[in-house]
Amino acid sequence: MRDSDVLDKNPHISRSALEAIHGQVFGWALSRCDYDQAAAEDLMQQAYVELLTGKARFEKRSSLKTFVFSVVQNLARSRYRRIASRLRLVQAAGVEMAEEAVHPVEPDENSVLWEAVQALPQRQRDIIELVFCRDMTIEAASSVMGVTTGTGRVHYERAKKALRNKLSEWGKT
Amino acid sequence: MKLSDEQMRDVLQKAQANKEAGAVPAFGTTWAIAGNRAQARRRRRGMVAGSAAVLALAFFMLKPSGDDLHYIDTAELLETTSWAAPSDSLMPEHQYDIYEEIPVLIESTETYGGALL
Repeated sequence: MRDSDVLDKNPHISRSALEAIHGQVFGWALSRCDYDQAAAEDLMQQAYVELLTGKARFEKRSSLKTFVFSVVQNLARSRYRRIASRLRLVQAAGVEMAEEAVHPVEPDENSVLWEAVQALPQRQRDIIELVFCRDMTIEAASSVMGVTTGTGRVHYERAKKALRNKLSEWGKT
Repeated sequence: MKLSDEQMRDVLQKAQANKEAGAVPAFGTTWAIAGNRAQARRRRRGMVAGSAAVLALAFFMLKPSGDDLHYIDTAELLETTSWAAPSDSLMPEHQYDIYEEIPVLIESTETYGGALL
């Protein structure tokens, strides 16, 4: 950590360390905003403002990545709850959000699994995303989600079971 | 079909990567905007704190001092025959003039030393 890099109000965070995890944090922000690019960018900026002003203070009780993910999660919860629910309503009404590029026309194992993940309850989806896609431990993921490790583990096991059931149903058809 | 954890991880990571491909904004840009927003926030808070300080100062400067907190000013009473009772919204203002509102005494018809009692 270079001295000039260190944030004034957050002495345990450096700009270069944030830059190193920027892509991963943005991915998390994007998923918090139902993949709305503009909302995710705003959320990222807001998270960095919290770090710059020291409102969110890193005390090295977890990894920096876990901490910044938690900041994004908390901001998303407070600021984007209404926006996200509105987006979900729009999607539920049948408006597809440019998902064609991600899903092949013919459903295959991958797209079925992806859709199954999206259909999971919020917490199960979050823990699967954090553990499988963001390379976090169950403990770190639980910390980001603000639940105990035991609760996180239960969500994780249930999510995997639900995904396996979904895939086996798909295999029978 | 039975996928192992590792297979599920691979599939989901690929799907996630597809979903996020090309979406990540440059760190420098995001950081610069955040810096500006943080500065704007500091300025806003500074202005709010400054205004609060000015208001507090004005309040203490304009606040009547302890000496003025008399309900009845003796000198005022001596100079005039009129006195206004302290009032607020619950107690309507009432002004007395002892020459105008002197109580009507019950007249006595009995005299004592040439004067009415």
